[in-house]
Amino acid sequence: MIQSILIATGFITITGLTLALLLVLAERRILNYGECEISINNGEKELTVQGGATLLASLAENDIFIPSACGGRGSCAYCKLRVLAGGGVISPVEEPYLSNEERKNGVRLSCQVKVRNDLQIEIPKELFSVCRFSGIIEYKKPLTYDIIELRIRLKQPESIDFVAGQYIQLESAEYKGRESVMRAYSIASVPADNRSIDLNIRLVPDGICTTWVFEVLKEGQAVHFTGPYGEFRLSDTDAPIICIAGGSGMAPIWSIIRDMKDRKIERETTYFFGARSQADLFYLEELRQLEKVLPWFTFIPALSAEPENSDWKGERGLITDVVSRHFPDCSRHEAYLCGSPGMIDACVAVLTKAGMPEDKILYDKFT
Amino acid sequence: MKESPQTRFLQSNLQASKFSAGGFLGNDQRPIDEIIADDLRQLEEIGRTVGEVVQLLKNAYEKIRSGLGNDVELSNGVTGRFYESMGRIPSPFRGDGVFEKGEAVVTDENSGDSLIITKLGIHLIEKHHFFQGVGCRYRIEPQQVFQILTK
Ligand SMILES: Cc1cc2nc3c(=O)[nH]c(=O)nc-3n(C[C@H](O)[C@H](O)[C@H](O)COP(=O)(O)OP(=O)(O)OC[C@H]3O[C@@H](n4cnc5c(N)ncnc54)[C@H](O)[C@@H]3O)c2cc1C
Ligand code: FES
Repeated sequence: MIQSILIATGFITITGLTLALLLVLAERRILNYGECEISINNGEKELTVQGGATLLASLAENDIFIPSACGGRGSCAYCKLRVLAGGGVISPVEEPYLSNEERKNGVRLSCQVKVRNDLQIEIPKELFSVCRFSGIIEYKKPLTYDIIELRIRLKQPESIDFVAGQYIQLESAEYKGRESVMRAYSIASVPADNRSIDLNIRLVPDGICTTWVFEVLKEGQAVHFTGPYGEFRLSDTDAPIICIAGGSGMAPIWSIIRDMKDRKIERETTYFFGARSQADLFYLEELRQLEKVLPWFTFIPALSAEPENSDWKGERGLITDVVSRHFPDCSRHEAYLCGSPGMIDACVAVLTKAGMPEDKILYDKFT
Repeated sequence: MKESPQTRFLQSNLQASKFSAGGFLGNDQRPIDEIIADDLRQLEEIGRTVGEVVQLLKNAYEKIRSGLGNDVELSNGVTGRFYESMGRIPSPFRGDGVFEKGEAVVTDENSGDSLIITKLGIHLIEKHHFFQGVGCRYRIEPQQVFQILTK
């Protein structure tokens, strides 16, 4: 009896093991995709990669850094690009992140597309020049009670080419048991200073990256980031400009205006900066100075919660109301906005009401 | 019983992660199903529905968000202020999408109670009836919604 049980058990075990071994061998054979070609932007760049990895990882291995905030887990939707051929079907993980329009245009989450055969893809040209940088924190200084300016001196590569208005993705280190994360920050410095970048970072209560920047990051410390990214930049028209920003939304506008000065672009520009009180203002002296030397530039800070009896002589009220007062007709202008989604929604409503066509309102979609 | 891959995925996303410093459970030791069931029971006891909670939270959030960081009076002694944050945060539930960051903080001066309303928080309640775990910064106490927002 016992002998029969032992024989049966042995038989089942050996059969199981053999099947498992066959499965492993079959998987190796079947899943060996061999070398695959990735053709980018109609053959502008051709890569040969080992099949089997995700498109995001295969591109990164070849120094093409697609934005990503979730490390390829399919939950941030930053890594979108167009797959024109060879991408297979859209996975259930991707479904909720893709609009009908995007599906029609072949947009996919590159972290969810496996390279199993040759692929044809399309990415913004700028991504070819995205690099992973290492640098040193040259200084970290408070601009207000909740915004700091960081200057990162570049080590490797030693310089960066970017367009005013673009952003980078800063990598935080692990701290207090929190994982390393990547977050986007607009570059506040000008392209002419290409050996370092400045960032304006606002503290978000219990935010992972900003708490690290404010509480852990020290001057002299090494940091890493990738970039530059983003389409937000000055257009090449002659239209007069209205810039509107609030909080850390200052960064790209600060860069764009000083870059205009460097490049001698003399378009009539009015910059509205909305804040609650004088304690929330920064770069005030520098902007006033620019106003003096640039005849085409006007700076209008507006405070919405400044005590009535204070010494503030400037504009008061919600930034949207102040813009409306100064520009009841915006039909000739172009607008550049940077701030929270709430501020952007409110500004778009006011500007379109004042006759500005929506395609003349430029902003980075942060959501 | 063995957990399905979906449950494992959700359980791991509910913890502190790359997206949420404190996660979604706080120091609550109950499984998520139990948290949801307890909150629904609490709502039933006071004769209210998830739909009513969601409507009140959405109205308050939009009103406070349009204040662009200024104090917004919701009712006598109840004010809200929006703390902006650019960027977006994904839902811990697979396939739900991403949500605008930023917090509408509501304070009831009389009781000292407060609510932190986020776009993601409203979505979790609306779609999954998940008010988040006790001790989580973003937990919404069902009863408090009515105490504070129907004054
Ligand atoms: C293109 C771009 C440019 C940007 N430029 C700048 C810039 O120049 N300066 C700047 O300061 N910022 C900028 N940002 C924002 C920046 O990328 C970060 O999003 C921001 O600094 C917050 O990061 P964090 O890691 O500190 O916060 P996170 O930890 O990522 O987020 C905290 C937020 O997540 C939400 N949250 C967390 N847990 C929960 C939960 N359980 N329930 C509900 N909600 C929850 C809350 O809304 C909370 O406020 C930019 C963003 C983009 C996309
Ligand atoms: S990297 Fe986050 S969704 Fe692809």
